[in-house]
Amino acid sequence: MTLFDSPSRVFLGAIVLRLVLLVYGGWQDAHSAVKYTDIDYMVFTDAARYVGKGQSPYARDTYRYTPLLAWMLLPTAWEGPAPWSTLTFAFGKALFALSDVIAGWLVTQLLVRCYRFPVERALRYVAAVWLWNPMVANISTRGSSEGLLGVLVAALIWATLTKKPIVAGLILGIAVHFKIYPFIYGISIMWWWDSERDGAAPTRLGLLAKALRFITPSRVKLTVAALGSFAALNLVMYLQYGQPFLQHTFFHHLTRIDHRHNFSPYSTLLYLTAAGGAETRFEALAFLPQLILAVIALPLVLAKKSLTTAMLAQTFTFVTFNKVCTSQYFLWYLILLPFYLPSSSLIRKPSLGISAAILWVAGQALWLHQGYNLEFLGLPSFVPGLFLAGLFFFAVNVWILGIIIRDGGEGASEITGEVDHPKSH
Amino acid sequence: MKRRITFVQRVDAAFDPQQAVLTASSLSVHDLDAARQDRITVGLNELPEELRAVFEQSHELHFRWASERPYDAVAPFTSRVSPGLHVLYTPLDSDSSSEALCTLLRTIVAPSKDAQYKDCLKPEDSFITPPLLSTRFASSASLQYHTHLPDIQSLVKYIENAICTNVGADSNECRTWASALLSADSVDIDYDSISHALTVSGLWIDTPPGGWTDQFNKPASPTDQIEFGLLGAEAGLEPEEIKMGGLLAVIGQDEKLKPTMFSFPSRHQPLTEPATYTASFAPPTGLHPTMSISMPRSSLKRPPAPSTATCALHTYLTLPSAIFGDQYQLATTDPLFLDSHNLVALRALAGEMDLEAPDWVVPRWGSNWLLELATPPKSTDTDSTAGSSNWTVTIPLHLRYLPPSETGYRTAHVPWPIVFWACTAEDGTKMGVNPFDRTNLGWDGLFGPRTMFYQLQPAGERLVDDIDVPVLRIEGGDSYFQGKSIELGTCVVISLGFFWVLWRLARVAWSSGLGSNDGKNRAEAVHDKKE
Repeated sequence: MTLFDSPSRVFLGAIVLRLVLLVYGGWQDAHSAVKYTDIDYMVFTDAARYVGKGQSPYARDTYRYTPLLAWMLLPTAWEGPAPWSTLTFAFGKALFALSDVIAGWLVTQLLVRCYRFPVERALRYVAAVWLWNPMVANISTRGSSEGLLGVLVAALIWATLTKKPIVAGLILGIAVHFKIYPFIYGISIMWWWDSERDGAAPTRLGLLAKALRFITPSRVKLTVAALGSFAALNLVMYLQYGQPFLQHTFFHHLTRIDHRHNFSPYSTLLYLTAAGGAETRFEALAFLPQLILAVIALPLVLAKKSLTTAMLAQTFTFVTFNKVCTSQYFLWYLILLPFYLPSSSLIRKPSLGISAAILWVAGQALWLHQGYNLEFLGLPSFVPGLFLAGLFFFAVNVWILGIIIRDGGEGASEITGEVDHPKSH
Repeated sequence: MKRRITFVQRVDAAFDPQQAVLTASSLSVHDLDAARQDRITVGLNELPEELRAVFEQSHELHFRWASERPYDAVAPFTSRVSPGLHVLYTPLDSDSSSEALCTLLRTIVAPSKDAQYKDCLKPEDSFITPPLLSTRFASSASLQYHTHLPDIQSLVKYIENAICTNVGADSNECRTWASALLSADSVDIDYDSISHALTVSGLWIDTPPGGWTDQFNKPASPTDQIEFGLLGAEAGLEPEEIKMGGLLAVIGQDEKLKPTMFSFPSRHQPLTEPATYTASFAPPTGLHPTMSISMPRSSLKRPPAPSTATCALHTYLTLPSAIFGDQYQLATTDPLFLDSHNLVALRALAGEMDLEAPDWVVPRWGSNWLLELATPPKSTDTDSTAGSSNWTVTIPLHLRYLPPSETGYRTAHVPWPIVFWACTAEDGTKMGVNPFDRTNLGWDGLFGPRTMFYQLQPAGERLVDDIDVPVLRIEGGDSYFQGKSIELGTCVVISLGFFWVLWRLARVAWSSGLGSNDGKNRAEAVHDKKE
């Protein structure tokens, strides 16, 4: 008997870990001036309080999310006597933590049913990467909403691999409404979902027939459902909250300056440009490498070989080439790692895996050291410190991305066997 | 033009009747040990056209300038503002404020190249709006401005050129008077549309070396007037009153100095025991400096207000846009946070509150914060703790990103805040009858009209803290190397990364096309299962 042969033990462990953190967080908040709760959670709950009073969540400065989030957290706005208000305040964190666990459960199910993993092996990876990962549990119990994205992405993969195009489309629309970036998954899934996936025999066809065959019932259903749920949600939110909704959820990301130091390789350049010190406008083209890779090249080359690896590579690219990058963005690709890691060369060749881990951590450490010098010691470490640390971290990420692409090309973590009739275990 | 000269002697200052001599045409003082306030009142028609235009568009306009040098205030001149130039302005027509005011500001501030001066284009875009207690009885101006201003040379030059040239025969006296303002501890300029008159007053708290020696002549024009007062101040019979006594005269009219004694309620009151504070930022300030306001515990005795009055200790911060507070952090009601900083509550705030914007996109000069401060708990063993250590209040603040510089730093000039007790006064107290009343200080309007203020004295060599803000270091001049290398470096590294990923993808596409590679991966899956 090993630690991982019982799903109930793994999930119980994950739940206990989160409960302990929730209780500890409540204790720290009540006894220390330094709060466990994330500053973003205060934004969410403030916004929920505005909604509770019948006002717009955008009445709270820096609320840059869909109103759905504030609606979901309405119970936190309930103000009752002391012990109850502490519980209702933690409602959102509990919801995020529960989403974590559900996401982990979904990934485990997929590994077992679609990837034919033995339960114990599936649990080992999911526990190591996600369920028992203290960083994941910490982020959601501090009240960061990234955990919700995890469950949406896991559910999207589940609906796709079990061939439910309408459900997949609906989830995709919701996910994009929530955080924009999941739209890149839509491209991969569309390309992946050819008629052969739906059971048609592979045939040799002319170019025109090929183009016509691209339009399959699954792809149409997926597209319509995705556009439908995305448009419906936006319409409802727009009718309810008007221009501020569009401004804060979407347009803000087009107009933001992002001059503050962050992990992105563009960070120093953006500061220089925003302050009017740059001669070129190179940063205006920053979306090009990011989108060419994440939206066109990666789905085209990798999606049919290995959908989840393609999605991982897309997310990795999106984050690495983004104009702004903070540590919560790393959570975006963490949920996809259990699909990729088991058959990756990072695990097959431990020296490669360990080198990648060491370099990634070193990139973070170098940057964080410079960031500490700036933020807390007040040293002007923008150049060369933060600038070079950012570029080094970018280089490490690009190198790891190359490994993922090579593995994806070899069909790492492609689903095996039939998935239409999963055997229960 | 009317002029009022008031000397106020401290209780312990020496005075000999020979030190103030009145003749039919002049009054002379010599070696006088006293604080001095010198005030002139000019009718609007005595002003040049451009200046009149500014005032004619104003409902009220007040300038408050305070020096960075510390001084020990003396009653009835105990009110203070943070160092720098404050402008409080209510336009006559709330829809169109005066652009001429901005032009005037630029002239009297004469911003140097390095100064963090927020240019003023239109007051409603560059000034901040303080919270109004009541719109019906607006007790404060509707727009507020502040800038760092260590000296007022440009203002004095402007007064000499624009005002003194218009006053006719007395222009030389006007110039002497104006240049004396350079050594003043504070200067007030007031205009309101009801009196249609402009008042400029300078305050010198400390006696110059050897005392005041001066001669004031009867004005040339019969419409002009010079009043003279030599007074002392002490506590009145009622706690809200100040009693003043001494000698008064109108130069050229009175034949001798007239003894006088009068008392009046005053909103600004002295503290009977010495009470001081210092403001500082503990190094390293980083990007999140914490302002510490430190007071000896002996400075925190309740002010001599009536026992029925409610008193609370406050601080009022005037922060340039480079530094700001997080309104959500400071407005918290969490007792753990407040206790750890010795704060009670954030009472009022106004101005630039954006938590994310860099300084160069912030259009207005900065922000004001009124915070109520905690006082030490009344411990039973007062003797062991009283005076033994300082009582320190901390206010967490944050820095904005500033434009790049050649040194890698830019300086944020943060004026010391003022610290004061605010106490309720009895109903019906009329503060306005005070001949030395001073309002429109920015912070006084945040309290009811019947509030008494007892200010602590700032004790430091300079009442402005300079914070080094780390910025992007760019070599200037001809070698624009650094900026270019950031642009080029980023561009090259991103391009290399991009093409490297593309090349990796091309290799995959070359060897196995764009479709799935089923056969191969089955084998791999089998291999995986064996592990």
